[in-house]
Amino acid sequence: MIRSRAGLSAGALLMAASLALTACGGSGDGDSSNEGADAKTLTLWHYEGPTSAMGIAWNKAIEEFKASHPGVEVKFEEKGFEQIQQNAQMILNSDSAPDIMEYNKGNATAGLLSKQGLLTDLTEEAGKRGWDKALNSSLQTTTKYDDDGIMGSGKTYGIPNYAEYVEVYYNKDLFKKYNLQVPTTLDEFTKVMDTFVQNKVTPLAVGGAEYPAQQILYSLALSKADRAFVDDYQLYKNKVDFKGPQLKYGADTFKQWVDKGYIAKTSAGIKAEDMGVSFTQGKFPIMISGSWWYGRFVNEIKNFEWGTFLFPGNKLHPGSSGNLWVVPEKSKAKALAYDFIDITMKPEIQALLGNNGGVPVAADAASITDAKNKELIENFNKISSEDGLAFYPDWPAPGYYDVLVAGVQGLINGSKTPDQVLDEIAKPYDENLADLGK
Amino acid sequence: MTLTANRTPVKPAEDVKAAKRSNPVRFVILAALLALLLIVVAPLLIIAINAVKSPADYASGGPLSLPPHLYWDGIVDFWNRVNFGQKLWNSFVTSFVVAVLGVLLSILNAYALGIGRVRGRVWFLVFFLVANLLPQEVLVYPLYFLSKEAGLYDSLISIVIIFTVIQAAFGTYLLTSVYQEFPTELLDAADVDGAGKLRTLWSVVVPVSRPTLGVLFTFFFIWTWNEFFLPLVFLVSNDNQTVPVALGVLQGDRLMDATMTSASGLIGILPALIFFLIFQRTLTRGITAGAIK
Repeated sequence: MIRSRAGLSAGALLMAASLALTACGGSGDGDSSNEGADAKTLTLWHYEGPTSAMGIAWNKAIEEFKASHPGVEVKFEEKGFEQIQQNAQMILNSDSAPDIMEYNKGNATAGLLSKQGLLTDLTEEAGKRGWDKALNSSLQTTTKYDDDGIMGSGKTYGIPNYAEYVEVYYNKDLFKKYNLQVPTTLDEFTKVMDTFVQNKVTPLAVGGAEYPAQQILYSLALSKADRAFVDDYQLYKNKVDFKGPQLKYGADTFKQWVDKGYIAKTSAGIKAEDMGVSFTQGKFPIMISGSWWYGRFVNEIKNFEWGTFLFPGNKLHPGSSGNLWVVPEKSKAKALAYDFIDITMKPEIQALLGNNGGVPVAADAASITDAKNKELIENFNKISSEDGLAFYPDWPAPGYYDVLVAGVQGLINGSKTPDQVLDEIAKPYDENLADLGK
Repeated sequence: MTLTANRTPVKPAEDVKAAKRSNPVRFVILAALLALLLIVVAPLLIIAINAVKSPADYASGGPLSLPPHLYWDGIVDFWNRVNFGQKLWNSFVTSFVVAVLGVLLSILNAYALGIGRVRGRVWFLVFFLVANLLPQEVLVYPLYFLSKEAGLYDSLISIVIIFTVIQAAFGTYLLTSVYQEFPTELLDAADVDGAGKLRTLWSVVVPVSRPTLGVLFTFFFIWTWNEFFLPLVFLVSNDNQTVPVALGVLQGDRLMDATMTSASGLIGILPALIFFLIFQRTLTRGITAGAIK
């Protein structure tokens, strides 16, 4: 009895809470660009390590901000990813909200908060300060959310400073040992891997238990895809046929790669971290994964020469803008927050980001002095000029990540056929569409 | 463990002979125990190895290789990065206050329920048990709105209140069953001597059950120390965070820094480990030992 009453009151509280959340969605501010310009502190949160490219660039940005805003105290706090991921909604709805913070892009994160009215609409500022022109259209996809919190259109709620994309890392020493050239087409890429298999070397380092494997499958699907497919798959423009030429090709080819020995059957249980470490140890000649490894490899690979190339033959690559700067609706120093974002978009901060292993969104390749990082940024500029960012395969539906991991694991260990896997991953996708009423 | 090791040599001669005869069995058991010990200790060992390994060595040798030289920068960097001294203090204060208040509350509750035999005590106990079984995730939203209304969100006080109640719920449940077995002779004697209810509690019941209370105190302290989820939700500012929450800072979106994570893990568990070693003797005396002497 006691319990059930407590349960009732908890339910009532929850309902009151959700009402309160929706109620504060209104935007009552008249001129928001000067709001909080006279604030004396700027509370700033992000969750990048101090030695990462973003950490270094943003520290510099904070210094510049202090120099251009004497008398304003910057209260910077480094947060854990987990804490922001779990609690952003609760924190932003309380008086402990920061004035500006880093937050994850995507429907389930920034989209959800924007729908609940917890984030400030930055559309006007972005136009006024030229942030919208600095970002190409596929980067802008993740900054805009409509009234339902779905990305791709609507108002701008966040500004990214950096981007990320999936590319191919290769061990130059091992390529040289077997007299191999950097492949430029998918056929050549297959021949390279054949050579390794003939010499009893498994070519690909794959983490089947986490994101890397599904990104390979998606890359393969993208080799047959165009922008319209990406819009359909990611932004629900049209219905996606999972047995259509793109995804069917991706799953079938992935299966072939496993059968031919390009991908080890044991990799179904390997985590991304272990995949990266096995590549740095020189155990595998090739690794297909994201640009987020780049800075780390620069520092940690000492025993061999390595390089990168884009997935051969593809015009579309998995990737997107990085995390966003968002300004909470409860921020007490909005004008200062806009000033800070503006500083992070300045050429020198962007160059600093690029020179430390990050992928700046608005950098001039000429200002990148480090030869190794130049390669990373030139690859990105190539994708960017072709508008080739195709986002990540797990974005379209909530909880889709685990569905894809399980599906691709089935392909790796041979417990499922490509058709079975496609059916399996189509179901949650379609259910989500139905939930959205599309 | 040291106790048993010291005891073996003083065994009488007859026993030694018997032991020699069953030697193979003893050896097998010893080997099995050692293997078990290794399994238990292995994760800690891996943490310790990687905590003093440089990232470059980790990258080239993997997580299982021994570090070629000791590398303390990971620990030092982490300490400075999160201002670890302050986190230690926050954790210590909350855990200590929760342990003291939790034990106090448990004593008062259990005295009423176990010895005082309040009407409907079974239902009280069921309530406390259910409260214990409730996952914290269920409590988060109600607690969040209550603490926000009371102005205690992002404050150590909210954590102290919440955990005092949670721990005392368990303490009440356990201590009540201990007090139900409390020797009535002692209570009657106190009554005859003219001690009131309060006097009986402080001068008779508490001293007799001190070992049990010591165990409760130790457990409350360590449990509160290790709490992650609710502190993560309630302690927003870095200045208020506790040790486990501070360790979370190292968890990135896609990358993890294995050596620094190990370093943080090592200095994160050390205080609880030290506390445990200090109070180990109270624990070994057992949870039910002290009731009757």
